[in-house]
Amino acid sequence: MAAIEPMEQFLVHKVVDLPPIPVPGLGMLDMSITNSVLFMLIAAILISGFFFASARRQIVPGRLQALAEMLYNMVDGTLTGGIIGDRGRPFLPFVFTLFLLIAMLNLIGLAPGGFAVTSQLAVTAALAVMTFTIVLVVGFARNGLGFFKLFFPPGMPLGVAIPMMFIEFISFSVRPLTLAMRLFGNMLGGHVVTYMFASFVIGLGLFGLEGAGLAKLGLIGSVISFLVIVALLALEFVVAFLQAFVFAALTCVYLNEVVNLDHGH
Amino acid sequence: MADPATAAAVAASAAEKGGSGGLPQFDVSQWPGQMVWILIIFGVLYLLFSRVFVPAVGGTINAREDKISGDIGDARRARDAANAELAAAAGELEAARARAQRVAAEAQAQAKAAAVERQAQEEAKLAQALTAAEARIASARADAMAHVREIAVETAQAMIARLTGTQADRAEVERALTAAPAS
Repeated sequence: MAAIEPMEQFLVHKVVDLPPIPVPGLGMLDMSITNSVLFMLIAAILISGFFFASARRQIVPGRLQALAEMLYNMVDGTLTGGIIGDRGRPFLPFVFTLFLLIAMLNLIGLAPGGFAVTSQLAVTAALAVMTFTIVLVVGFARNGLGFFKLFFPPGMPLGVAIPMMFIEFISFSVRPLTLAMRLFGNMLGGHVVTYMFASFVIGLGLFGLEGAGLAKLGLIGSVISFLVIVALLALEFVVAFLQAFVFAALTCVYLNEVVNLDHGH
Repeated sequence: MADPATAAAVAASAAEKGGSGGLPQFDVSQWPGQMVWILIIFGVLYLLFSRVFVPAVGGTINAREDKISGDIGDARRARDAANAELAAAAGELEAARARAQRVAAEAQAQAKAAAVERQAQEEAKLAQALTAAEARIASARADAMAHVREIAVETAQAMIARLTGTQADRAEVERALTAAPAS
């Protein structure tokens, strides 16, 4: 019986070896194409291919174009338009890209033989830090030092405002961490649980086939585990979409705070 | 899972962690490459989306909305024009009916006036005829009255001739008659 190694699926290994690039002050940067990078590239190609194919600009849309427009309207209407408002338009490409890239990475992670790129903490952390940095840059660019008003809840007595300021500052500072951990944890958990039930299907199935008497109950356990996998996969598809949506929605919430800081949105 | 590369990586990672089987995600040596790659890929996709895809899809959606609202506007204008024409036609119909009524009323009035005039003419003609007739009667009476004197003269002559056997002079009889009081 094969060893049960639920974490093996997350191992990063090189697919194409590239010479490391020297980075001044930091040492060597290994830019080799790993399985993780390979699936990032696949996701990027799928997204671009889909949008190139769907950009027919027809008045009566075909299926691909209708799907692309549905996604566009969802991001434009619910996310940037709905959360940020009129000032959200400039962030539409950013939020759209973020949402589609995460959703696609989540989905190809679910495909058989796929690698779950978004269950790599490095990837989710990079995306979260990038989002956080953009929020900071937009915040300072739009408000200057008025950005710090974010930590002063309006209309509060000074005795409450100062401890509130610390709480606000901490909750602001941990945002990249929570963004990264939420996506990472959801994807990791989903894949591990699916793996465990898959190992039950085989383990209990072999146990039931080889054993006799009560051991035959293992076959029932195997079938039940299989049904659980089917249900779990359906749930994982929802989670894949939902987590991408949550990441993009939180990005919009954070952008909204700094974009509409001056008129208490 | 018989991929030799994977197996080697598993072995290497297991060896690194002393076979504890921790999360491979916490192997920090794999971080820089993945982080840089995801940022590069995100950047390229972002450029594609901001320059090509979002303008294309958004432009198509806007063009469609413009076309739909334009078509609705055209339809509304056409409907308004049709309504205006309908109102104009109804107005013309009303005007035509009014004109017809006016013409009919005029004709009626003319006919009435003509009838009155003709009646007046007839009455005048009748009155003329009446007057003429009265004049004729009057002249006839005058004639008759004139003849009465002659008859009276002749009757008186005849009576005188029969009574006296002499022929009375006509002028004397006439004088006597005139002198006699009209009884």
